[in-house]
Amino acid sequence: MKRKNLSIFLLLLFSFSHIFESCKSTEVETSTTTSGGSTSTGSTTSNSSTITTTLSTTATTTTCNSTGVAQIVCLAEAFKSTLSSTQLATTQLTYSKTNAQKWSNLPAGMSARIGINLGSLSDTQLAAFRNLMVAVLSLNTTNEGYDEMIGNLVADDYLNTIGGGSDYGAGNYYISFLGTPSTSSLWAILFTGHHYTQPFTFNGGANTGVTPAFRGTEPQAAVTAANRTYQAFEQERVAFAAMLTGLSTAEQTTAKLSGSYNDLVLGPGQDGKFPATKSGLQVGNLSSDKQALVLSAIKLYVNDLDANLAASILTKYTSELANTYISYSGTTAMASQGDYVRVDGPSVWIEFSYQGGVIIKNTPHSHSVWRDHTSDYGGN
Amino acid sequence: MKQLTFSISRLDGRLMVFLISLWAICRATIATAHPMPNSVVLLNVHANRIDAELQIPLVELQSAWGHAVNDSSARLVERLGPQLRAYLKAHIRPQSPDGRFWTVSVGELTAHESQNPINGVYRELTAQVQMIPPAGDDVRQFTFFYDVVLHQVMTHKILVLVRQDWERGQLAESEPVQVGTISLDIVNNRILPLPISIESGSHWAGFTAMVKLGMQHIAEGTDHLLFLLVLLLPAPLLVIGQRWGRFGGVRYSLKRLLLIVTAFTVGHSITLLAGSLGWVRLPSQPVEILIAVSILVSAAHAVRPLFPGREAWIAAGFGLIHGLAFASTLANLQLDAGPMALSILGFNLGIEFMQVFIILLVIPWLILLSRTQSYRVVRLTGAFLAAVAAMAWVIERITGQTNSLTRGVEQMASYAPYGLGILALIALWLTWRMKRTSQLPVL
Repeated sequence: MKRKNLSIFLLLLFSFSHIFESCKSTEVETSTTTSGGSTSTGSTTSNSSTITTTLSTTATTTTCNSTGVAQIVCLAEAFKSTLSSTQLATTQLTYSKTNAQKWSNLPAGMSARIGINLGSLSDTQLAAFRNLMVAVLSLNTTNEGYDEMIGNLVADDYLNTIGGGSDYGAGNYYISFLGTPSTSSLWAILFTGHHYTQPFTFNGGANTGVTPAFRGTEPQAAVTAANRTYQAFEQERVAFAAMLTGLSTAEQTTAKLSGSYNDLVLGPGQDGKFPATKSGLQVGNLSSDKQALVLSAIKLYVNDLDANLAASILTKYTSELANTYISYSGTTAMASQGDYVRVDGPSVWIEFSYQGGVIIKNTPHSHSVWRDHTSDYGGN
Repeated sequence: MKQLTFSISRLDGRLMVFLISLWAICRATIATAHPMPNSVVLLNVHANRIDAELQIPLVELQSAWGHAVNDSSARLVERLGPQLRAYLKAHIRPQSPDGRFWTVSVGELTAHESQNPINGVYRELTAQVQMIPPAGDDVRQFTFFYDVVLHQVMTHKILVLVRQDWERGQLAESEPVQVGTISLDIVNNRILPLPISIESGSHWAGFTAMVKLGMQHIAEGTDHLLFLLVLLLPAPLLVIGQRWGRFGGVRYSLKRLLLIVTAFTVGHSITLLAGSLGWVRLPSQPVEILIAVSILVSAAHAVRPLFPGREAWIAAGFGLIHGLAFASTLANLQLDAGPMALSILGFNLGIEFMQVFIILLVIPWLILLSRTQSYRVVRLTGAFLAAVAAMAWVIERITGQTNSLTRGVEQMASYAPYGLGILALIALWLTWRMKRTSQLPVL
């Protein structure tokens, strides 16, 4: 039936109500998803490869000579001082759990983030951003810490160029301050984009949480940029494969989960839902060399952070290692789609899922989340 | 959504931009509702049964079921139809509050490609499932034990939505309403059934929804209205010889107008009834072509009286054709007898309301104008434009492709209110001028 409107006012009468109804019902539908805030659109106009080039320069000049949280506060303020008042209003937000939860494993264009996107920053601003991030992430380890973050942005730039389009790329990563940086009150740094989310929560001059931290990369294979080859999240995959293949057949049977896992269980939006009963194989029952393989995998997450931030966390996870469980689904090689591994301790929770390709079809890529049973969002 | 895009294409200027952006926002929220390829269960609620459509991503089904349904999806249904049906039946078990399970039967299966912005293109299985509660049990209250794919794939999610619920005035043409999600209870590592309690509706809600739908169909159906308007164009005139003569008086005009409109209504009511009850089924293309031809015929009649005095019969005859087009909308709802009868009545009333409304807006000016010398120009211009539009539609509906003329008609239709305003102004001005020179024939 060829349908044509006779008049605009009739349209106002009928089509309008139709449109609003469709909006209303889809709002209900989105209640199960994790789409975030609406302060940003996720699009960028700047050249993404310029961003990673600027961020990967080694020169760091800073006037913040203090140490610990005081230095992080100083560097946060230094970054803020480079921003225009409009940019600052976008970046400096109030602390709330709702704001802290606005992260996702989707490109920012498909699930909006809060904060300011790297694509809208000048070189000076990017340099100040870099100064801050190298203070909270570890430096000088290939594909770990700050280098892993850059590698992740490089991979997303690559997705942009091979058909992912403007939803992808380093320009679509966002930084925000939730609460005013201070050595006395509650505040957080939230850096979030497609395959990388890293929060840092501070309270009373101490770091109170660095999770939930999301990692992942597509492609899983190496990507070259600015005369460097990055493979941001390969070491973690290899470490888990080593951990699982190191087990005896009987241990593997105990560790194997009965269900299949094509995604993370505690991904974005799944806060505070740790299983009441741990599944799989208790690490305390393993030989010390096999326990060391578990700890090696955990370290690839914790040691991404600056050593000061990492130290107490790693001590805790090490002390709890005997009561930590590991489990997996799929194969122990962590090489095919559907392979899944979990580390669940009294505090630590890490999941690694090797799932189907989205931009690069028929080639798996990794998603991984590090959570903490008590200190997600700084325990708030 | 299909209708929505059609209406948008007809809007002008800023209104269009506004509507399109609103529409885009709505689309975006739909997209984020499916982060991974989830399963979707769409419920069509009837008085004593639920027809469900399942949409299951093959990549997830393969993980759960083992068979290489995604890796080799060619001729999937031919190869594995019976096993698929058995598998689905084993994992779909609605249960009434009294503990009795419903009867579930799996109908048509199709494997096809689907797409969303997050996952891109992926393959999907669509299954038609009928669920019937035991005798005496309420179709709106049940515990939905449904764990297709999810029994094995712990990360799978199943969105359950109501797509059509006539008694609550919800028709398949609007967006489905989500009733819940079935997924793993992570904390307790178990899969809980979804308690479903759909608010009861009433025949009144279903009836009024159909009235609204009927009004919408006419408001958006330029071709139906054009046919009627062009047929009414010469109605106030007397036939003198082989030509249209002078104004025949208000009583004469109204009698003829009423007769034509009533005849059209009788005609399309008959085929609407016959078509929606399934007694008559014609493919839509010839029906659509005939509707365009009906406009052409009535345009010719407005130029020269082809069937003077027999307008009502012609209106009734073409009404039969227009009714067939209306009927296809109703037949698609697949309603039971009672609701169907009410729907036919409501839909028809909606059509009548809108027709009468439009006619009331136009007729006073036609009567005023028909008393003036200039009506000849108005009548011939109207007939000519309608004929051009009709021929464009005939070509479009034969070839199946839009042409620049039909696009132009769409554009023109959006200016109809202005056209009506201009028509009224001209009518009033000419009447005033002729009154001054006392040239007007008596009313």
